[in-house]
Amino acid sequence: MTAAAEPLLEVRDLGKRFAGRAGRDAPAWVIQGLSFSVNEGEFLTIIGPSGSGKTTLLNMIAQIDVASSGMVRFQSQPAPIGDPKALNPGLTCKIGYVTQEDNLLPWRTTLQNVLFPLKVQGRLNDETRAHAETLIKAVGLAGFEKHYPHELSGGMRKRASLIRTLVYDPPVILMDEPFGPLDAQTRVQLQEDLLRLWNLGRKTIIFVTHDIGEAIALGDRTLVLSRAPARVAGEHVITIPRPRDIRGIMGHPDFGTLYQSIRAQVQ
Amino acid sequence: MSTTQSALDLAEPTPVRWRQYAVTVGRILLALLLLAGWKVGADVAGPLYAADPVKVARRIIEDTASGTLLRHIYVTLRLATIGFAIGCGFGVVLPFLLRRLPRLTAAVEPYIMASVGVPKYALVPLFILWFGIDDAPKLWLVGLLVFYPVFIAVFAGIRNVDRRLINMARVVGASEAAISREVVWNSLLPFFFASLRIALPRAISAAIIAEFLVGNEGLGFLIENSRQNFDTTGVFAGVVVSTAVVLVINGVLVRLDRYFNAWRPVDRDMDI
Repeated sequence: MTAAAEPLLEVRDLGKRFAGRAGRDAPAWVIQGLSFSVNEGEFLTIIGPSGSGKTTLLNMIAQIDVASSGMVRFQSQPAPIGDPKALNPGLTCKIGYVTQEDNLLPWRTTLQNVLFPLKVQGRLNDETRAHAETLIKAVGLAGFEKHYPHELSGGMRKRASLIRTLVYDPPVILMDEPFGPLDAQTRVQLQEDLLRLWNLGRKTIIFVTHDIGEAIALGDRTLVLSRAPARVAGEHVITIPRPRDIRGIMGHPDFGTLYQSIRAQVQ
Repeated sequence: MSTTQSALDLAEPTPVRWRQYAVTVGRILLALLLLAGWKVGADVAGPLYAADPVKVARRIIEDTASGTLLRHIYVTLRLATIGFAIGCGFGVVLPFLLRRLPRLTAAVEPYIMASVGVPKYALVPLFILWFGIDDAPKLWLVGLLVFYPVFIAVFAGIRNVDRRLINMARVVGASEAAISREVVWNSLLPFFFASLRIALPRAISAAIIAEFLVGNEGLGFLIENSRQNFDTTGVFAGVVVSTAVVLVINGVLVRLDRYFNAWRPVDRDMDI
């Protein structure tokens, strides 16, 4: 990290608390004093125990939720603090968000779902449509374009939601345990797909997971979050060179040490 | 929307034919049984109290041939359609407006819900007093009776929209208008259609009842006028035709519902 370059995204002293239930509970801090920054083109993985506010953190970066205190700056622009009305979700299509649930529109087919961002952005033309079809083929959804989400498997829905974000090419993509509920085989397949697609475009990715192996296999750098209220408990630069072989990554000499030291911090 | 059918890969055996036949045969038998019951009942009660089904059928054919029946149907349908359009329009648009104004919604909601309890038919004399004896009082009645079920369903539907889908749409750059159109509207379509199942037959009934009270045309007038002339056959003919009209409209509605909600997985499980 060179001192000269301004980080693309900066989170400083971030705090979030949710209102207590009608005066019964005091509002509890989910995140407090959280600071880190992300550089352009970086693949950052964030790992932490469940309930450590990882999703809340991404929601605040994507501006679908408002921070209670501290600062989130994207391209030097600070996000509003405390005022949900001033939020700009997705920061005008600059930040894509692959959420934990696929959030596909159940009344739209796979193709319509993938084209949805282009349609609402008024960017649907022959070129973008062809790009969408290329992506559909790249993740193995060819032949399922006219299927509705409920007719797809969990892995297929994940792929559809992933390329729905890739299709409009946001420079930053947030991913919230996107491969969490999948079986091991599909998971590895999707991780490989993701790395391949990332290699082509070199976007900035913030990838939240609770799987240490996944955090190491995918990231340039891994942040470890503490239990709530979440802070950064540790930071690890992943030294394993790219391109990486996901299936064989456990055999890399650095993997074991990284795994052990991250594991020691994840409580 | 036949794509849904072809897209399904469920290994379901083709439904056994005789089951479908059994249902059809059962329905016909039931219809015959009802007709027979009607016939027997009419014979026992006498022509002043209940009309013979054969006479009713003959009357319907005669009135259709002379064109008077079609005229009455047209008048009633016209009234029901306009009243329905007004009531349904307000019932859909109002919740969408209130969606943007949560504080106004909270303030107004108890009053709207209280007004559900007002017996609308009881207001007809007032409507006549206020709006005269032309279409206006009838349209008020039909409109109000259609408005409530649609409004309540759409209102509930809007509250039921998955927040996560709305957030997703916002993140990918959808405007509020696009979110209303795509996410909110499609989420509440099943609610809307459920409310139409109530509202459409109600529109016809309300039009008929309004015609009992005011006017000199329409199915309601036909029924009431026949009653005043001790023409029980005419009353029965009017009731049968009204029922038929409602059934036809319901059939169209079911088709529309299937078309618009073809993506829903439940439709498949409803097969016999």
